[in-house]
Amino acid sequence: MRAFFLILISICVLPLIVRPVIATEIWIFAIFGLGLNLLLGYTGLLSFGQSTFFGSAAYVAGWLLKHYGINVFIALGIGVGVGALSALVVGYLCVQRSGLYFIMLTFALNQLFYFVAYQWTSVTGGEDGMQGVPRPEFLGLDFKDPLVYYVFVSVLFLASLWLMKRIVESPLGRILQAIRENEVRAGAVGYHVPRFKLLAFVIGGAFSGVAGVLYAMLFGIVPLEAIGFVFSGNVVFATLIGGSGSLYGPIIGSFVFIWLSESMSVVWARWPLLLGVAFVIVVLFLRGGVVEAWHRFWTWRRSSKPAT
Amino acid sequence: MNLLLGQILNGIATGMLYALMGLGLSLITGVLNIPNFAHGALFAVGAYFLVSVVGVLGNFWLGLLLAPLGVALLGLVIEYAGIRRLYSAGHDYQLLFTFGLALILNELIILIWGPVGISHLPPALLRGGVDLGFTFYPKYRLFVMVMAGLLVAATWLFLEKTRYGAIMRAGIENKEMVSLLGIDIHRLFTVAFAIGAFLAGIAGALTAPIRGLSPQMGVDMLGIAFVVVALGGLGNLLGAIAAGLLIGVAQAVVAAYWTEASTAVIFAVMALVLLVRPQGMFGIR
Repeated sequence: MRAFFLILISICVLPLIVRPVIATEIWIFAIFGLGLNLLLGYTGLLSFGQSTFFGSAAYVAGWLLKHYGINVFIALGIGVGVGALSALVVGYLCVQRSGLYFIMLTFALNQLFYFVAYQWTSVTGGEDGMQGVPRPEFLGLDFKDPLVYYVFVSVLFLASLWLMKRIVESPLGRILQAIRENEVRAGAVGYHVPRFKLLAFVIGGAFSGVAGVLYAMLFGIVPLEAIGFVFSGNVVFATLIGGSGSLYGPIIGSFVFIWLSESMSVVWARWPLLLGVAFVIVVLFLRGGVVEAWHRFWTWRRSSKPAT
Repeated sequence: MNLLLGQILNGIATGMLYALMGLGLSLITGVLNIPNFAHGALFAVGAYFLVSVVGVLGNFWLGLLLAPLGVALLGLVIEYAGIRRLYSAGHDYQLLFTFGLALILNELIILIWGPVGISHLPPALLRGGVDLGFTFYPKYRLFVMVMAGLLVAATWLFLEKTRYGAIMRAGIENKEMVSLLGIDIHRLFTVAFAIGAFLAGIAGALTAPIRGLSPQMGVDMLGIAFVVVALGGLGNLLGAIAAGLLIGVAQAVVAAYWTEASTAVIFAVMALVLLVRPQGMFGIR
């Protein structure tokens, strides 16, 4: 309950501190991270291809928004569908392998989708991205107003968080965690492990799809990077610095990551270099993420206080 | 028909380079048990090192020797200063580390050599072509075929016929047992990473005069190297060679008829093979 109020307060305060676009991007990225964390944190599957689902959904919904004038809710529905479907295809090929093979396969299939988007310029715009994705007005709600769109995204984020909480606390969530803890034992108890992994993939893909469509509408463009491997890496990084062990980790990670990349990209055009340095530093010195660093900081403070 | 035969030859030449990449990655993945997302960046660094060495010393052959050695040295440092501290961490942190390294190397390439692609001529001796009867074929590509073939053979001989190669293969099978036998497993890891980096570096150096150089080349090759390993099987030498040749030829043949799809076809071939044989062509795990 305390976490919920904290999130609610952040939603209210955030647009006062940063530009509404950045604030919106943070919640969109958090939805993306929630989807990945079902795989990474709860099922123990390290997917390095989440932008496949994010980008595919953004392209399909963006195309329909642009050329067929569908409304925002239909676009989101299509995003869920495309995200889930692409995750079904990719997941089917990947869940049969485990460990390093699994990671490499998710990456390789991500590259397949990337090259299709790169070459299919008549639809995707290739390197220039799919430009001119609209944010049409619906039921008197003017989504072109950045604040209205921010509130809309925030509500969708809260709905996603609630849904994900229900999923991880459901029997399905418990089975996924059992697979993470001990795959062989989960299989021996009678659960069809690949099928549950695939289900986790599909749910994660649907969340990524929603995030992808919201992202396309936010910036009015689907950049080629949205389906590229750097995007897949970014969401893994955000989830890990937030802490993949908790439901709220990806949210904290999204804050830190978007803030970090936004402030660095202003400073220097070659900011991915700084991002890479940040990755290396976090891995070598701050493993466990922000949540653990916070705990360590407090235990250190408490233990260093003189006894009274 | 002659076009097709020429393309198949091209496919074999690039396929041998893919095999070199896959072989190095397979060795690193098999021995160290880490996902090496910096493998493509090492490939790109090899190519750029070649250009710089040739620019300074004016000798291609010296460049072909020094560039991969430089990459191997870089690999040595990366393993010793970074990866070594991550063996007990999960794959997620290892991945993040190597991915971060790839970003750093890629950006450094842009900073040092510029964001625009550069072309590089083969040495005077290997310029021009030879008449093979059915087609006029560039000498340099034939050289790449022979050179990559020799390197693959040398790696195979090292792994199969030398004592240290046997230790390395044992390391792929069972690390705990190897270290229990009194072998310094950490040195084994360092050597394996350096050899893998060397192979990536020389593949990059050999590629430079064929395709030119661009900062993007590392990422493109990373995906291909993963495909080779996924198809060929971890630590499986013959598998890596066969998989490299298969996708090299498939890519070249498709390029003759439908250029836009030639890169996507690599991944499509992988998806198809995995549909039929989820364990890869020769994989057992």
